[in-house]
Amino acid sequence: MPHASSPIASARRRSELLLVLLAGAITVAAYVLASLGKNASIPAGLGPFLGFVVALLVVAHVAVRFLARGADSLLLPLAALLHGIGFVMISRLSDRLARLQATWTLVAIAAFVVTLLVVERVGDLRRYRYTTLAVGVGLLLLPLVPSLGFTSGGARIWVNLGPINFQPGEFAKISLAVFFAAYLAEYFTTKTKEEGTLIGAEPWRIGKLVLPEAQHFVPVMLAWGASVVVMVFEKDLGSSLLFFTLFLVLLWIATERTSYLLMGFGLFAVGAVVAYNAFSHVQTRVSIWLDPWSQYESRGYQPIQALFSLAEGGLTGTGLGLGDPAAVPAAHNDFIFAAIGEELGLLGSVAVLSAYVLLIGGGLRTALRADRAFDKLLATGLTTIIGVQAFIIIGGVVRVVPLTGVTLPFVSYGGSSLVANYVLLALLLRISDTTSRRLHETTDTASVSERIEAWRARRIATKAAAK
Amino acid sequence: MNIRIRHLAMAFIVLYAVLFLQVNRWQFLQRDSLVEDARNNRVTVRQFNSPRGRIVTSDGDVVARTVKIDPKTRPNARFQYQREYPEGDLFANITGYYTVAFGATQLERTENDVLTGKTGQQQVQGVDDLFTRDLTGTVELTVRSDLQKVAKQALKGRVGSAVVMDPRTGAVLAMYSNPTFDPNQVASHDTGAANDVLMALQADKEKPLLANAYQERYMPGSTFKVLTTSIGLETGTLNNLSNFPVTNKWVPPNTDNPIQNYRKKTCGGDLAEVFLRSCNIPFAQTAVALGPDTMVNGVKGFGLEEAVPIDLPGAATSTFGGDADYFKNSLALLAIHGFGQGGVQLTPLHMAMIASSVANGGVMMKPYVVQRRVAHDNTVISDTQPQPWKTPMTAATARTMTTLMEGVVREGTAACCMQLKNGVRAAAKTGTAQLFDDPRKQRSHAWIMGFAPAEQPRVAVAVMLKGVNEEISAGTGGKLAGPVAKRLLDAALPLIP
Repeated sequence: MPHASSPIASARRRSELLLVLLAGAITVAAYVLASLGKNASIPAGLGPFLGFVVALLVVAHVAVRFLARGADSLLLPLAALLHGIGFVMISRLSDRLARLQATWTLVAIAAFVVTLLVVERVGDLRRYRYTTLAVGVGLLLLPLVPSLGFTSGGARIWVNLGPINFQPGEFAKISLAVFFAAYLAEYFTTKTKEEGTLIGAEPWRIGKLVLPEAQHFVPVMLAWGASVVVMVFEKDLGSSLLFFTLFLVLLWIATERTSYLLMGFGLFAVGAVVAYNAFSHVQTRVSIWLDPWSQYESRGYQPIQALFSLAEGGLTGTGLGLGDPAAVPAAHNDFIFAAIGEELGLLGSVAVLSAYVLLIGGGLRTALRADRAFDKLLATGLTTIIGVQAFIIIGGVVRVVPLTGVTLPFVSYGGSSLVANYVLLALLLRISDTTSRRLHETTDTASVSERIEAWRARRIATKAAAK
Repeated sequence: MNIRIRHLAMAFIVLYAVLFLQVNRWQFLQRDSLVEDARNNRVTVRQFNSPRGRIVTSDGDVVARTVKIDPKTRPNARFQYQREYPEGDLFANITGYYTVAFGATQLERTENDVLTGKTGQQQVQGVDDLFTRDLTGTVELTVRSDLQKVAKQALKGRVGSAVVMDPRTGAVLAMYSNPTFDPNQVASHDTGAANDVLMALQADKEKPLLANAYQERYMPGSTFKVLTTSIGLETGTLNNLSNFPVTNKWVPPNTDNPIQNYRKKTCGGDLAEVFLRSCNIPFAQTAVALGPDTMVNGVKGFGLEEAVPIDLPGAATSTFGGDADYFKNSLALLAIHGFGQGGVQLTPLHMAMIASSVANGGVMMKPYVVQRRVAHDNTVISDTQPQPWKTPMTAATARTMTTLMEGVVREGTAACCMQLKNGVRAAAKTGTAQLFDDPRKQRSHAWIMGFAPAEQPRVAVAVMLKGVNEEISAGTGGKLAGPVAKRLLDAALPLIP
């Protein structure tokens, strides 16, 4: 229950509510503008839409207020803003996809609340690290199961479960982040007098360079192996890069050894060279990235259309509903950043970039504030997932890196991605809340299950006393 | 650990800074080159997914419109709207075309803002009804569809053009050119097919994409005598009593080559006589008598050497073929130019304007084809007001010229072919422009210009048939172009009050 006795938490929740409602107002206003721009009419069912948005935001906020009230106040509003902008762009591109995305939004908010309910203490996750590893690896390999998995858009990352299709990889990355945070916190950091000073095991040295011990190669190789599997068998370059970066970053932060980072980059370079020579789809991606103009008629068409789309937007954009973002194939998904850039202009695309930077900032602040290795590593890992994934896809669209098809977190169309990202957000909030309790910023009240336990215990005690 | 996390934060800031710079590159620094890239058809796509206004004739015929493509019948259509020209090639040289990949021409280009609803007034009025996205305007022409059809029929497929104007206002009533083209073929959304059509049209040596009525110029032959005579009358060098010796040869100054009359005939007499018989020598002598300065200034009074201020793009500039200094060095050339041979070149439109200035008491009006621009809510954006452009002659001279030109129709070179219905009296001047000196490969353009009724003119006309073959070249302006002009005047007079 919210307590007047924890003013810091109350202030955080107040600003969160304000910001969340602001994000909702922006979303609804943008929705109306897009409809006016596109069809010259106030969207049908504006009332229900407004109610839907406000209800979802309030549900999410109330869930945080009750279940994680000490948590960071910026994370949820930023996610809601990105989600809202994304939804408006999707609804502007396709009514059908908008309905599906609305359904997925419901599921995602439900998953958010459930995650906050179920994961009451971050430490709980640590206990299930091998379970999460199994789940993560299982999810990762699921698309390769013959009758279950299928290929779409060139990548075998889909699983068909009766009426719904989903990308298990979106959830695998969370599971693996949890496992790696737990594993690294346990074995790669020596818990001395105080937690938080973490020293690697006795190292091998060649001159000044500190080499990792043999047994420490194992997880690195595992991470590398997982990336290779994803890349080779599922042809999902983006996710492959994402997994590898995640593991590498966590390893580096846990051990505080730059040599791991260098080793990782070395492995990455080797893998990249091998993959480039072995797989035609990798070569294709790279050649499109380096020179899309010479293959405009074929593979360069989509990225060039995305550049035209961005250019069309210019400084201030064409206005919502007034551009032609559908000219870019897959504008609702991989290329949604181009669609935003077209209709909202440089101002809009920079706003989205800023939102991600703030989200990453919020995530890493959570990591910095956390006082336990596992919490720190998990918060860092989860933030890295969002930050790197957004970078990979935006970078692909604006030609900073070769294009690899991953979703833009919270913004792109895609149910698995949306649900997974809200679970991820809930975990970040949970870490933040846990830290807040430890720092006595808010009273460490009993969790729901603890209260149920206590209630049971009281009842048993009452019954015993009655007897 | 915290230090590493801070390092990670810095790494992210660097990564996102790179994205920020790159987004600036595409949306700001290199924006213009991307927007203007030939492969970037986004502007076109947007235009072809929006309605576009109509172009209608003054008698209510729709000559350009967009139709919504039914996705049921054409599921693979690239765009939502197709531009159509219901009259085919009839108005191609006025409307121009509006294409997916090859831009737009003529009124489709110059009236684009009105047709798409982008003029300030349309935008302001559009604010009133925010929910009407269709702000497209209508362009109403001065050109009449019925007269345009007569012009096409009367030309009978021969290379050339006919221009009909209201001399009192400058409004173009009909303007048709052969050869022309069907803009529907170029407006096809199948850009490959459209490209093939356009390439063939561009390769055609008769240049069907150019309206020879106003985008090409031709040697005017004897029709030019109207200018020489008018300048002579204005300056007093000529008058009704002027008389010219009967002769078949005259050697102008600075040359040994004599000037001859058409078909080496012997010809002379008073001004009315030499004008209606179209002798060459008297006008050669008049030009020399007027001198280079007066002649050059005189023709400039008719708007030669100057862009014709018509509301269509790409109008050719008529020319006398040289400035005063040029003719000072060769009075022989001035003599030849004086009766419309040599380097003189006029557009048929300009010829119609010259006929109009005689008809209009000496005042040449600005020609125009767009009468009104109308917004989506039927309010008038603009209504063209007639404006004088040049005053090449006084009303008195215009009256004399009319009398002379009536003589041409009554008993001169146009007597054969310009007798109008109901005894309406017409005034005209014929021209047979000889293109080569060598008689074996003689080629000549057949011209006529004139107006009716002579006493109170309402319609002016100019017809030119290009000397592309023996048949045209063997005839004269009166016999070939005369019947075309007669049909047009007969058709136009009942329609124009």
